[in-house]
Amino acid sequence: MQIRETRKKSGTPKAMLLLLFFLFVISVSYAQVRTITGTISASDTKETLPGATVQIKGTTTGVVTDINGKYTFKVPEGKVVLIYSFVGYTTQEIELSLQNIVDVLMVPSKTTLSEVVVVGYGTLRKMDLTGAVSTVKTDDITKITAMNPIENLAGKVAGVQVTSASGTPGESPVVRIRGIGTIGDASPIYVVDGVILSDISYLNSADIESITVLKDASATAIYGNRGANGVIVISTKTGKAGEGKTTFTLNGETGWQKVAHKISLLNGKDYANIINEFQPGTYNNVDLLPNTDWQNLIFHMAPIYNFEGSASGASKTVQYYIGVGYFDQEGIIDKSYYKRLTLKIDNTYELTKNIKLGNNITVTPYTQQVAPDVTFQAYRAQPIIDPYKPDGNFNSVPGVGNPLAALAYSNNFNKGVRAVGNLFGEVSFLKNFVIRSSYGIDAAYNKGESFTPAYTVSPTQFNLYSLLGKAWSDNLTWLWENTISYKKDFGKHYLDVVAGYTMQNSTNEFMNLTGSNIIRDNANFWYIQPTYVWDPSHNINNIGLITNNLDPNLYYSMISYLVRVNYTLFKKYILTLTYRRDGSSKFSQSNRWGDFPSIAVGWNTSEEKFMSKLKFLSKLKLRGSWGIVGNDKIPYESRYSLVNSNLVTVLGTGSSADPGATYGMIGNNNLKWETTSQLDVGLETGFFKDRLTGEFDYYDKETYGILVGLTIPAYFGNGLNTKEIFNAAKVQNKGFEFNLGWRDQVGKLKYNFGINGTTISNKIISIGGVSGSDTVLYGGYLGNGQNVTASRVGLPIGAFYGYKTDGLFQTQSELNAYPHLADATVGSLRYIDVNGDGKLDGRDRTYIGSPIPTFIFGFSAGFEYRGIDLAIDIQGQTGNKIFNAKEIIRPDQYNYESHVLNAWTGPGTSYTEPVASSGGYNYLPSDHYVQDGSFLRFRDIILGYTLPSGITKKIYVQKLRIYLKADNLFTWTKYTGYTPEIGSSDALSSGVDFGAYPTTSVYSIGLNLNF
Amino acid sequence: MKLSRISILLFALVLFMIMPGCKKFLQKDPQGILTADQFPTSASDALLATNAVYESLRGWYYHSGGYPILDIMSDDARKGSNPSDQASTVGPYDYFGITPTQDGLDRWWNALYVGVRRANVVIEKVPLIAMDATLQSRYIAEAKFLRALFYFDFVRAWGGVPLVTTTTPPLGLVRSSKEEIYTLIINDLQSAINILPLKSDYVSADVGRATKEAAEALLAKVYLFRNDFVNAETYAMDVINLNKYSLEPVYTDANGINGNNGVESVFEIGAIQVENEDAGGDQYGNTQGVRGNPNKGWGFNRPSVDLRNSFETGDPRYKGTVINLGDTIDGIVILGDGQTPDITQDSSGKIIEIECYNRKVWVPGATTTSNWGLHRRLIRYADVLLMAAEALNENGKPTQALTYLNMVRARARQGNPGILPDITTTDQSQLRELIFNERRHELGLEGLRFWDLVRTGRAPTKLGPLGFVTGKNEILPIPQSEIDLSQGVLVQNPNY
Repeated sequence: MQIRETRKKSGTPKAMLLLLFFLFVISVSYAQVRTITGTISASDTKETLPGATVQIKGTTTGVVTDINGKYTFKVPEGKVVLIYSFVGYTTQEIELSLQNIVDVLMVPSKTTLSEVVVVGYGTLRKMDLTGAVSTVKTDDITKITAMNPIENLAGKVAGVQVTSASGTPGESPVVRIRGIGTIGDASPIYVVDGVILSDISYLNSADIESITVLKDASATAIYGNRGANGVIVISTKTGKAGEGKTTFTLNGETGWQKVAHKISLLNGKDYANIINEFQPGTYNNVDLLPNTDWQNLIFHMAPIYNFEGSASGASKTVQYYIGVGYFDQEGIIDKSYYKRLTLKIDNTYELTKNIKLGNNITVTPYTQQVAPDVTFQAYRAQPIIDPYKPDGNFNSVPGVGNPLAALAYSNNFNKGVRAVGNLFGEVSFLKNFVIRSSYGIDAAYNKGESFTPAYTVSPTQFNLYSLLGKAWSDNLTWLWENTISYKKDFGKHYLDVVAGYTMQNSTNEFMNLTGSNIIRDNANFWYIQPTYVWDPSHNINNIGLITNNLDPNLYYSMISYLVRVNYTLFKKYILTLTYRRDGSSKFSQSNRWGDFPSIAVGWNTSEEKFMSKLKFLSKLKLRGSWGIVGNDKIPYESRYSLVNSNLVTVLGTGSSADPGATYGMIGNNNLKWETTSQLDVGLETGFFKDRLTGEFDYYDKETYGILVGLTIPAYFGNGLNTKEIFNAAKVQNKGFEFNLGWRDQVGKLKYNFGINGTTISNKIISIGGVSGSDTVLYGGYLGNGQNVTASRVGLPIGAFYGYKTDGLFQTQSELNAYPHLADATVGSLRYIDVNGDGKLDGRDRTYIGSPIPTFIFGFSAGFEYRGIDLAIDIQGQTGNKIFNAKEIIRPDQYNYESHVLNAWTGPGTSYTEPVASSGGYNYLPSDHYVQDGSFLRFRDIILGYTLPSGITKKIYVQKLRIYLKADNLFTWTKYTGYTPEIGSSDALSSGVDFGAYPTTSVYSIGLNLNF
Repeated sequence: MKLSRISILLFALVLFMIMPGCKKFLQKDPQGILTADQFPTSASDALLATNAVYESLRGWYYHSGGYPILDIMSDDARKGSNPSDQASTVGPYDYFGITPTQDGLDRWWNALYVGVRRANVVIEKVPLIAMDATLQSRYIAEAKFLRALFYFDFVRAWGGVPLVTTTTPPLGLVRSSKEEIYTLIINDLQSAINILPLKSDYVSADVGRATKEAAEALLAKVYLFRNDFVNAETYAMDVINLNKYSLEPVYTDANGINGNNGVESVFEIGAIQVENEDAGGDQYGNTQGVRGNPNKGWGFNRPSVDLRNSFETGDPRYKGTVINLGDTIDGIVILGDGQTPDITQDSSGKIIEIECYNRKVWVPGATTTSNWGLHRRLIRYADVLLMAAEALNENGKPTQALTYLNMVRARARQGNPGILPDITTTDQSQLRELIFNERRHELGLEGLRFWDLVRTGRAPTKLGPLGFVTGKNEILPIPQSEIDLSQGVLVQNPNY
């Protein structure tokens, strides 16, 4: 009872304490105070506006409205003007009368003057924006339970394709913006609070305020030779100026993952029957054979947890955000998990009226276990093998080995810490000038550890001596950026200029060690001692191995100069000029510096007088841009000519090996970055007071100087089939993007819809021409001498390559009548003599499909009704094909996909499914294994309930919401594999399904708590 | 207030005045890799670079692209192995069905240019190194000898080829003329002769390096191919008159393990018995080694029926050239290959092939590994003697010619007075035929016969029945891949 009373007095102790503290500070400053309360709501939707800011004019003192749009504000007696502001609405100034209750109706700004958009090196007023830029806000970034926040962009932003490479816990997705602009690394760069990064897997989604995708050259050219594949600018959360008290947020979520879709494979009996079809009498009593479902044995339900807590707020001079997050994903395959702790602290200190200092720092320790590639093994393992022998030991599985044994003996770990952050100082002077200097670092330290004990499962699956591998790597990048900006509204004119110079330096090193025959198998002994294993009977002579080097892509320095001028006349006519000059250590003296300009124009048509009659039209803006951007993520070390020092010559009467060394691979000292020129024409519209918004873009990107290896004439002395790297390929990506949104309220029901789509036309314009005769880039290597992609001029990057088929040979006479390969039989696939030379041979292999979708789209819907909220996000793509490579790599007798049950057994029995066989002819790369990769996926469905504030207030809780969620609930696709999303960072192997760790469906329950 | 304004100004100044020392900051040297601009820069580098040129001789591709096509194209040998093995790739060399995309052409072409480049590294870069002058000029001379050796293969196999004498050739090089290639070869060899030490001047650890005698012997051979018998005589006689060489008493030692770096070896390629080129093995012996049982190799280069039948009665060199099934060598019984017919007959019943193998690549031991250790002889003293005999005869000195011819026959006789009688004729044309015949039996299956037939104009007669087309097959087609790579700048040899 005593305790309860105390609690009642002081409220939630922490929050109240903090609140009291700040109130105290404020009350010291203003001896005489009065309390103003009120509700802020929107004039158009009649909704209250939570998070609107109320500020005393001429000070930084302010408050933010609560969840119900209400505020309470202690202000000094006397003449006080309050400024009310909210994003998307016209800021209002109200001079206080004697009235202590001030309710404010906010009017939406037609061209939202106050709304700003995060762009490179600062922000721009949305109305002044001429680039193709899309922003996703915090609510949409936390929907999917995922390690990498970028997963949430799938289907959300026109022009952005996010594809999971696999379901391996801790694996980052493959991100492509507006097609594939290179055969090398086509990933965008990330800019987190100004720090330029190549990966953001260290970030907790909940710590992100917004993600802005810069797509066209007007927006990306300010990032120079790193912007060509798009730029994703991320702002993390900070305390809001004027937010008097501390807001505590707690989120917790628990989910269960299961494999989204299993592949239909043969059971033991069916398998034996199929083998008997082409090897009669192999299995006599098929009913007595074991029946093992290997997929069921390796996949299981697995939990996923995500917890986070944060405190944010601001005092008069300090804005702060402190967040902690814990993400823990078990894999659906044993021996795989990913656990991550994120510690986040953002502070801004206003030292004087003119000087600010601040920091944004995230420190992320993580641990990961990586399972061996048992998915492909389980897919191929014969179902007639019991996993265990009667004595409990692992059974031998022909050809592929026992997947369960592979798991049991695998111990493969990564652990490390990543710290990304910056400190910055800002000085404003002469009213309109701000100088900002920011020093950021990205430090990564990783330790890999793998241990395989000695074991024997079968003569092909064994390890004679235990093997311990360790790998250390570290990477430190620092980035120092100095900018000066000038913003001034002259009434008729508005000028926004930013200029600066930056320096960046990146270093790294790695060390790999292996040791053998570790004295004990348990982890306490996983330390490398000098080991020497000499076992002549097994040809083992191992003294351990040390590899110590660095990754050249993380070893460079840069100096850059940049400037952007944004000029707006009469709020209607906008001109943006940007220019960046990048100097990079990656390139030789003569190619060291690159210039990257862009120009863009915009016309706020809706501001014109003649448009004001069109009442339904709330916004109309035309814009166009052109510019040149580069991609420096290239294997630039190919510019060095190397010395080959592994040569041995045999001299002397004793025939001893004498060392030799001479010139090796020839480098190309003229290598430079890849260059993209991009044209963008866009239209932004708003109808019915912006209830309906639309954005349309046409883009045309041409990337030239793409790095390709070309064979050079033999007289250079490099040896047979060795290639030199040249800037010698050109690729075009063009298409349309649209993004439509509808937002309205009917009675108590608030709802919104969004739909976006992108068409992609990807085409290789040229390959080679600099040297030699190479015009084809092969990829999708099957490991057996065959490639399944061949990229040629006129085709998309990574185009599939193989025989075209035309049914099956039904009879011997039909077989005899057609050109065929020597090992063709009746009932097998009829490959088409494409070149019509009357012979069937390798030259008849041709283009059989593209891995690049022609259309990607997303759809989202949200509803809110009396505290109940429902969100649905759908994502999909069409026009792409998938090469089911896992089905055709058959050097041995493996299990089959169940369609083999329809196999041809005699004339007329099938016209599509060839006669069953263990491999060979019918498994050559052909269009028979190319499948439609189109899909439509329910990315997430979330049903939530927010308790009425009347109830929650009694327990000092501002907001309490519980929700149920399903990620990847359902996918419509014709594709037979685990998932139609086959991401690959290698553009020449994308869409080739090698049977990777499958993606999962996740069912979760969660809780949000604000107080 | 004033102070704070000044401090702001200073702050701004500091930021924008620290204009970085661009050049230094942006200079990052490659880490952990030795780049070409840092090599060779020292005396030890010079040695490494010189050794590397020799290394290219041991590569499989160096040996006429891998398969012994020079003998297969001659009347001395057929493809070998079993009938289907490499039937479409190596088979066409047997009947002159060679096309510009024929397997192996690109390998040989590439291997020779790898060698040329390595020699050019030494010739171009070693002179810039501050080091012992004697050693420095020796290294350069060794490289020149080897560069001549590579170009000599080039000019005989293809005629004129792009002539590269620098480490940084330009794109778009055209074929130089045959004359230009020969000029380089002769210049290189002459300057090598002036500098290279005698074989006897090398310490034992350096045995195997190019010598003055090797350069002279090679130059003699170059002149033979030029039909310049005066110069051929001069250089062959120089080698003979140095009196440092003799013939191995036992004929099989001339190519065998006992004669490695021996008295008869003028220039050879060292190798170690290990099945790994990178570790010192040479697949030349493995490619031609006995197929089947014992498994000593792939069995290519099968002695032809014509060669088998051409030996004089009782010539021990028959056994020293041909391994027949049932032979016992070094205690190992030759059983041969199960998939190769012992005897192949044509439709008329004429024997066209007998399963047998090349004795010249025999290395004692019943494994493939042993054959990887064969030291291939590129020039041996018997060849020098026969070259001298040939040149002397052409220069009207038959008596002297007979001396050297009969030295070779005397060794072949192996002490048996009843066989291989001394030649006595001094009739130039008779002697010419006898010397040429002696070359066939002394040097059979050592890769010399095809070019000997071509240079002496005998190819149309001897090889015509096998498919040889005069005016075409004297040289090989330029690999189509190189013509494509040159974007048509390289012109194909006539009639291909």
